[in-house]
Amino acid sequence: MSEVKVINGNMAAAMGACLCRPDIIAAYPITPQTPIVEYLADFVTGGRLGSSVSEVESELSAMSVCTGASLAGSRVFTATASQGLALMYEPYFRASTLRLPIVMAVANREMISPQTLWGGPQDSLTVRDAGWLQIYVEDNQEILDTLIMAYRIAEDKKVLLPINVCFDGFYLSHMSERVEIPDQESVDAFLPAYAPEHIILDPRRPMAVDPLTNGYLLTEYRLKHMMAQQNALKLLEAVDEEFGERFGRSYGGAVEEYRCEDADYVMVTMGSMTGVAKDCVDEARRAGKKVGLLKIRMVRPFPAERVARVLMGRKAFGVIDRNVSFGWNTGIIYEEVCASMNRAAAFVPNIPFIAGLGGEDITAEHIRYAIDEVMNHAEDSVKQDTVWLNREDKGR
Amino acid sequence: MNVVDKLAAYEDQISPGISACVGCNVELTLRTCMKVLGPDTIFAIPPGCMGGVGVVGWDKQSGAKTPVFFPLLDNVASMLAGIKMHYEHVGRKVNVVAFAGDGASVDAGMQCLSGAAERGDKLIYICYDNEGYMNTGYQRSGSTTKGAWTSTTPVIDGVGGKKQNKKDFPMIMAMHDLPYMATMSPAFIPDMVRKLERAMVESERGLVYLHVYNPCLTGWGCKSDESIEVSRLSVETNFAPLYEVGDGKFKMSVDVKNPKPVREFITRFKKFRHLTDEDIEALQALTDRKMKRLHELCKM
Amino acid sequence: MKFVSDYIVPVGAEGLKIVETGKWRTRKPVMDVEKCVRCGMCLLYCPVNSVKKKADGSFEICYDYCKGCGICAHECKKKAITMAAVKEDE
Repeated sequence: MSEVKVINGNMAAAMGACLCRPDIIAAYPITPQTPIVEYLADFVTGGRLGSSVSEVESELSAMSVCTGASLAGSRVFTATASQGLALMYEPYFRASTLRLPIVMAVANREMISPQTLWGGPQDSLTVRDAGWLQIYVEDNQEILDTLIMAYRIAEDKKVLLPINVCFDGFYLSHMSERVEIPDQESVDAFLPAYAPEHIILDPRRPMAVDPLTNGYLLTEYRLKHMMAQQNALKLLEAVDEEFGERFGRSYGGAVEEYRCEDADYVMVTMGSMTGVAKDCVDEARRAGKKVGLLKIRMVRPFPAERVARVLMGRKAFGVIDRNVSFGWNTGIIYEEVCASMNRAAAFVPNIPFIAGLGGEDITAEHIRYAIDEVMNHAEDSVKQDTVWLNREDKGR
Repeated sequence: MNVVDKLAAYEDQISPGISACVGCNVELTLRTCMKVLGPDTIFAIPPGCMGGVGVVGWDKQSGAKTPVFFPLLDNVASMLAGIKMHYEHVGRKVNVVAFAGDGASVDAGMQCLSGAAERGDKLIYICYDNEGYMNTGYQRSGSTTKGAWTSTTPVIDGVGGKKQNKKDFPMIMAMHDLPYMATMSPAFIPDMVRKLERAMVESERGLVYLHVYNPCLTGWGCKSDESIEVSRLSVETNFAPLYEVGDGKFKMSVDVKNPKPVREFITRFKKFRHLTDEDIEALQALTDRKMKRLHELCKM
Repeated sequence: MKFVSDYIVPVGAEGLKIVETGKWRTRKPVMDVEKCVRCGMCLLYCPVNSVKKKADGSFEICYDYCKGCGICAHECKKKAITMAAVKEDE
């Protein structure tokens, strides 16, 4: 039987990981992820979880221990944030190119400088092209559920890739809400044991891992890696559906469409800001405005076709990014959405927004302002710069 | 069984043809270590000479008969720790071994090696110390002897060379209070075999660190047939003494009664050719001071 | 090595990569069995594992991968091994 608890996002991540019964856990504490490491240590010490834990001396070693353990055949779990993710970049890239189905939660936090502790997905979005799968979630229930789905997707033989489950630091990591926790038996039935066949370090099956490799072969590996990412995109939809059948909750797959059916205007959001944005959409609907919302869940691979299909033919759309894309003067998701539209040979007037950097609140005021901009000024703002919220009069 | 018979009987775990330099005593060290450790071993070859010569293989072929992999330069010990944790978790005895150069051990990989040592990860970590990044053209490392020419500490018109002392890494590792730490030399193979055998036992309690001093023929400038002779001189001059530390107890493995002058070792290599008498005397004084300290530790 | 991967990842499981290092040789060690006292030092110090011990207790040099470094000759206390020039056709 499942049980209901009021827990914060870090506890939801720890419980989600616990239900997947990883053999090896290696994680290094960093704000705002630290409680995950503490909770898991408690679970193991208290006998609730049978994992072996390595109390590593850095994130570089956290990812390295996970890489080694996964190469030897273990199911592994780790979690990090911000500078910790930056420090693990070297083994991070390698975990994906060795096709190791490592699951890592990221309690998203801004990157320094300036010195900052607060939420924002700049950390994991910056490494989006390192070959991992990345899913961004909206609330604590979704953290727990997505972690369970993450192992199913990562370990699938058509995929075999590491995956990040990303959630906004503090907004989710330290905020408590109602979470339904499935029972172990149901999770075990949903998630089979991991048994690697594609790569292994075992004297019973000797092989060399990562010989010096020529470019022609590297090209093949890259191609297969990218095909596997596309497989993951399809698989996410199927796994999400099956999860819904078994547990009564599903999330729309790679994106969630909210009141989009007849919408003239669509707001694109990601992560914890989606909750308040949905409220604002409801409010706009009550006022007779045909507004919908598109929540991006999967960023790698980017669900380009679905995003374009949702946005095509609307009067206008807006994208709210809680991050920046240096060099583009916009946010990262905005650029991803524009690339999707371009590939579909579709143009819809739009406005990019940047909001909530460094953990600043994205309030209903901001979203209302953004909806108003999109409804009234998208047409003439085609060549305009990004609208920066949390500044001056922009809804602050 | 005597050591010759053992090594004649053990199967070579490395590809018979690897492109190490002619006379390379690291190739000898690697083959000897892997023969003794045997087939129930997983080993790491980070970027460095042995990786470059093909011990991890090329394309779809392996360079070894036992499982081998290329860790990153800076994560050798922690990647191995993950592998070892897996085998402990499933209850299988496997030797999990690093065969890493000084760059990967005393410089870039020091943090994770120190971490693994402190946590007691049950690894056998072998460092082949050839005093620099030799396979990429002899750049200096923290393990390069003071005064040495390297490609990043060049000597022009007799002036230059490395300005700082060599990091005493075996001593640093000994201070982690490991179950076992030992220095080894390719000129003392029976001693090396004994230490490897002990390492397999002691590594069941924590990390074992083995430091091999390997003069590099190509990078230091020395003839191939003298490979073992100069290695022996490093021990006979006390420049790279052979000692071991088990649970905090220091012991000389080869106690050189009448050590030869350090000059006899130093003058064998082109990389030291520019050193003045004063430079060599300073290295002699340093060697004497370190040896005195080591002898004091052995008395404790 | 029996492991077969479908090569979605960089692994070396199709046998050993062997470099024909015997072709590098410019000098070759020649053993004078009369002088050999069977101490085995040549076997201990050969970096390429090219010295074999035979069933009768004697030693022989296998030339397949011998790089001709000369360590065996240099280390032999009885001078039972000498380095000879490699002929054109070898």
